[in-house]
Amino acid sequence: MKLDPSFIWTAFLQLWSAVPTTLYITVVSVSVGFVIGIITALARIYRIPVLSQLSSGYVTFIRGTPMLTHLLLIYFGLPMLVDGLSAHYGLGWNSAKIPMIGFAYISFSITAGAYLSEVVRSGLLAVDRGQMEAAWSVGMTTPQALRRIVFPQALAASLPNLSNSVIGMLHGSTLAFTVSVVDLNAKAQIVASTNWKFFESYVAAALIFWGLTILIERITGLIERRIRVYSKGGVA
Amino acid sequence: MEYGFDINYVFDFIPKLLSTLNITLLIVAGAIGLGLLIGFLVALPRLYNVPVLRNVSMVYVSFFRGTPILIQLFLFYYGLPEILKLVSIDISKLPVIYFVILTFGLNVAAFVSETIRAAVLAVNRGQVEAAYAVGMTGYQAFTRIVLPQAVAIAIPVFSNLVIAMLKDTSLAFTLGVMEMTGKAQTLGSLSQHFIETYIALALIYLVMSIALERLMLVAERRLSRHMRRDASEKNRFFTRRRKRLTLGGLTRELKPGNKEVPRYEA
Amino acid sequence: MIKLNGIRKSFGRHEVLQGIDLTVNKGEVVAILGPSGSGKTTLLRCINYLEKPSDGQIQIGDFTLDCKHAGKKDIYSLRQRSAMVFQQYNLFSHKTALENVIEGLIVVKKVGKEEARKRGIELLEKVGLGAKLDAYPSQLSGGQQQRVGIARALALEPEVILFDEPTSALDPELVGEVLAVIRRIAKEGITMIIVTHEMGFAQDVANHVVFMDGGVIVEEGNPAELFGNPKEERTKQFLKRFTTEYSYSI
Repeated sequence: MKLDPSFIWTAFLQLWSAVPTTLYITVVSVSVGFVIGIITALARIYRIPVLSQLSSGYVTFIRGTPMLTHLLLIYFGLPMLVDGLSAHYGLGWNSAKIPMIGFAYISFSITAGAYLSEVVRSGLLAVDRGQMEAAWSVGMTTPQALRRIVFPQALAASLPNLSNSVIGMLHGSTLAFTVSVVDLNAKAQIVASTNWKFFESYVAAALIFWGLTILIERITGLIERRIRVYSKGGVA
Repeated sequence: MEYGFDINYVFDFIPKLLSTLNITLLIVAGAIGLGLLIGFLVALPRLYNVPVLRNVSMVYVSFFRGTPILIQLFLFYYGLPEILKLVSIDISKLPVIYFVILTFGLNVAAFVSETIRAAVLAVNRGQVEAAYAVGMTGYQAFTRIVLPQAVAIAIPVFSNLVIAMLKDTSLAFTLGVMEMTGKAQTLGSLSQHFIETYIALALIYLVMSIALERLMLVAERRLSRHMRRDASEKNRFFTRRRKRLTLGGLTRELKPGNKEVPRYEA
Repeated sequence: MIKLNGIRKSFGRHEVLQGIDLTVNKGEVVAILGPSGSGKTTLLRCINYLEKPSDGQIQIGDFTLDCKHAGKKDIYSLRQRSAMVFQQYNLFSHKTALENVIEGLIVVKKVGKEEARKRGIELLEKVGLGAKLDAYPSQLSGGQQQRVGIARALALEPEVILFDEPTSALDPELVGEVLAVIRRIAKEGITMIIVTHEMGFAQDVANHVVFMDGGVIVEEGNPAELFGNPKEERTKQFLKRFTTEYSYSI
């Protein structure tokens, strides 16, 4: 085995075909996770009975266990549940119909939901109480105040955390290979073992991930500059 | 039960999994120790603005924060022996766990360096001036005034790093290390009771994460006594309760220029 | 005795101090007045070497420092002869009031812990904070923090204490307690240089008043002379603005 730097470029080209899969997993898990995050964060902030306890339990469990165990639990648990329900009610479902990437979508969305719940919550808590009172004082209802005053400020405050969550999910998507989804990491493994050039393949994969991460950070920076116009000059 | 699920397996598996706890803890301790050391070294050139070295630090941090830890693991496992072979050092027989600890250590170092930097920058400039004004030297001002405050600022982030590292140890199984997750896979395929094994595994991780978090919270309370302001608590919207769980873990939120770090405004 | 000779300081192309000469005798209280941007705070910070002057000599007691070739040792010796009270207090936020006062004694003056404590308690009692020894800065009001700051400066027994607008960050109702403390220690014959906007206070406490504008000393003299009968046009303008501001405020 000899180092072959030129193979990095070859691997790079072959790996491109797996980039969409990696991006799909990231986008789906972050989007679904964001919805879960908002619901669970509001449930906890407003102390809605039952729902808030459930949300807290969910967030603690997910954040206290590795993402890999979430994936494995879903991968082995979901078919059991689906087939069991199907047999019980005669629904005619079959867990074998769930595509592999479906497990990744479901499991990673659940993971992302817990982390984003914390991001959303801390963003909302960062908004000064006076903002809400001012909104009430000009006659807004609470939902109006939340939507027009609190949420935009919370979003601005939580943008850096949001961006980090997206990057976290992008990197976490490499776990999808354990359920045989051919994402960037799995593709790198395939390219590596068929050509017997492990190091070069992983260098190429690392470079692609690095590039994607920097891209996300740049985009965040751009949005941040636009969104934070109102706080310019302050010592935020 | 009709799904073939048997809760007894969960209790049965927990002690079996715990038999590999020492490997998991070894990886965590090794990586954190190595990470603190290297992280401090990586932070220095940027704190003191050393040309060239400063840029090396920046690229180092950007790389380790910009690529998945799993990719880094494969990269070092396959790459390091090949690179060292060029200078005729043979490490291909080195046990896998050393590669795991090294990779995780280098990874943690990037986050540690950012944490140190952000924490030091978060200490108010006036603190240093006041130290100079009472006649302290630069070294005295750093060790007696800046560092203790910076450590207090950094503890919550550091706590998240340790918990994240604990969870990341689950990736070591990909290289065949028999830590808890690796053990769980073996137990699962032997018994064909996968779901019970993974529930047992998740429970162990959960208890350990919560225990670590509590431990760090105690340290944080002790180190940041001075930051409690009973007189002028800021009026925040929604709850008056302090944030219980600190943010982060997987997401590792400490970005350069992040506003999350508390500021010491008197 | 403090003697400044030809102190110059530039930020980029902007020369903030254009050659300042000033002599302060032992036991004298000097007030420096002037509009914002006149360089008065910069001058004060230069004396403590928190800003590095680009030229000039600073003499405190028997020690003289030439700003052109000042080594680390010289800077530390200079700083040990002076102490500073900051506008933003700058108390060490991870240390209690007492620890703040004795930190310099222990680390710089190498005084024993017990003795330092005794001295610290004495000083805090003197500024009226004998009951707040173990409070952290975050638990103190602005006025209390500033009094700790003054005690911290006194602890070092410097040849001169420099006050940088010590009351301008305070709520109006807290200004009085801080000024009262400064007034009391002024009577003890400690040499002080005070940059302030409190005209009445300057007139009352200072033996010597300096008016600065545009990086130079425009006029200096005893308070009665400078306030009652200013010679320079710029001084007159400045004082007039201040008096009108006060008399017409609603």
